[in-house]
Amino acid sequence: MNALAKYVYVGRTAVRSNMAYLGEVAARVFFLTVILYIFLQLWLVTYAETGADRLGGLTLAQMLWYLVITEAITLSAPAVALEIDSDVRTGAIAVQLVRPLSYPLYRLWATLGERAVRFILNALVGSALALLMVGPIALSPQGLGLFLLALPLAFVLDFMAYLAIGLCAFWLENTSGLVLIYSRMTMIFGGVLLPIELYPDSVQWLLVNLPFASIAYAPARMFVDPNAFELVKVLARQGVGIAIFAAIAAAIYAAALRRIHAHGG
Amino acid sequence: MTRLLDYLRLVWSYVRLNFAAQLEYRGAFVSQVVAMFINDLAWVAFWVLFFTRFPVLRDWNVSDVITIWAIATAGFGVAHAIYGNAGMIASLIAQGQIDVWMLYPRAVLPHLLLGRMSATALGDVLFGFAVYIVAVQPDLAHFALFTALVGSTAVLFVGFGVMAGSIGFYLGNATTLAQQWQFAMVTFSTYPATLFQGAVKVVLFTAVPALFINHYPVEALRSLSLSDAALAFLGSLGVLAAGVAVFHHGLRRYESGNLLVMRE
Repeated sequence: MNALAKYVYVGRTAVRSNMAYLGEVAARVFFLTVILYIFLQLWLVTYAETGADRLGGLTLAQMLWYLVITEAITLSAPAVALEIDSDVRTGAIAVQLVRPLSYPLYRLWATLGERAVRFILNALVGSALALLMVGPIALSPQGLGLFLLALPLAFVLDFMAYLAIGLCAFWLENTSGLVLIYSRMTMIFGGVLLPIELYPDSVQWLLVNLPFASIAYAPARMFVDPNAFELVKVLARQGVGIAIFAAIAAAIYAAALRRIHAHGG
Repeated sequence: MTRLLDYLRLVWSYVRLNFAAQLEYRGAFVSQVVAMFINDLAWVAFWVLFFTRFPVLRDWNVSDVITIWAIATAGFGVAHAIYGNAGMIASLIAQGQIDVWMLYPRAVLPHLLLGRMSATALGDVLFGFAVYIVAVQPDLAHFALFTALVGSTAVLFVGFGVMAGSIGFYLGNATTLAQQWQFAMVTFSTYPATLFQGAVKVVLFTAVPALFINHYPVEALRSLSLSDAALAFLGSLGVLAAGVAVFHHGLRRYESGNLLVMRE
């Protein structure tokens, strides 16, 4: 089995495993429903009070669909950092290391498989809710294609950050605090609740170019307002973000491996 | 009176012991408290950004929303720092862990609730008071009323947690359902009441009684209105009474798990 085929198999196994536990995945749908209902009310009032047709370049319907995508991406994030934390704390990572697999790549493909199932379910439910609440927005196959091109690297970028955080368990008693802080940085700096066009003008350029915006804002914006020229810039930013986070994770992983002491089993 | 003092001594002992247990893992404890503080701060940052762009939302301004967050986080924090098992009842029922609490010569519910302290809840308490003092800059009267309303909110969260968790007596494993119900309560509590109209408002008075957090306390603090404060307190006491009633009714249906395990 060649190297890539091994990891694709890991990803496929993660997809099948999550398909078997759709009930657990579906429990998150309730969260999505409550959040989308509240945001619909918030933006209904905001559009009515301002009298504007568009805010941040988006109509009310586009705003809700934008939030469907950002929430579907955010809520699809698996607890990979805590799983890595657990591997480190229990010593299970020592078993993983003797397997003919790279531990980070194994985790990456398993996470992508799990996340794909969760994202698709969230997006389907979110889309049904958005259709009920505000109706459809104009979508084209080309536009959907651009959105789907922006999505995988967003997931890889997010994974690299969680990998670096999970590996910090070699030094910290608990990494759940770091996970929470990172997820909130993604929420605020990454435009999960508010499109970056509605942030103060002075910070918009900086936020768009930070890695956080490449995770939720960029794909969601591509969904409601597809633009091939913009996609090139998004992919470039995602590539740079992945390179930076991967370099940080690699440095932590190399330092962490030197701390492992296995004594039989 | 003697019984009340006796119970307060028990509360103090549990809080001290639970806090000491948290400090055994000092690094983890501090990181969770700090992370929750930052989590709450991120939500307030969202509202500050929102109101920077749209200064007024149906007569509500950023100060009102910060007040909601201060009351909700501090109230939730006080509830779960002292009565940390309030959010765990469904899981205790599903795992047959109520047995151990029934063996003590004390009333089951008020004793059981004390069995755990949530580390992150302390971050909520710190955040709630800090953001109210720093962002709203209250005078003494407003601060005193705020503190009282934090108490009312804590009572409501405990009562609601007991009510949501007690459905486990009827459904068996209701852990996920209870969690989702409590999640809905926390979420609705932290958004301006003015957003919700019609039938949803009825839900927010009953099944998810968030209006006793995001409406009456804010109205009370806006104009130092004791009548609104009284309505907030009455609502909290009503939810607590409902929670206690459902728990005791459900407890009669409880069957021992015959679980042989050390209490955590």
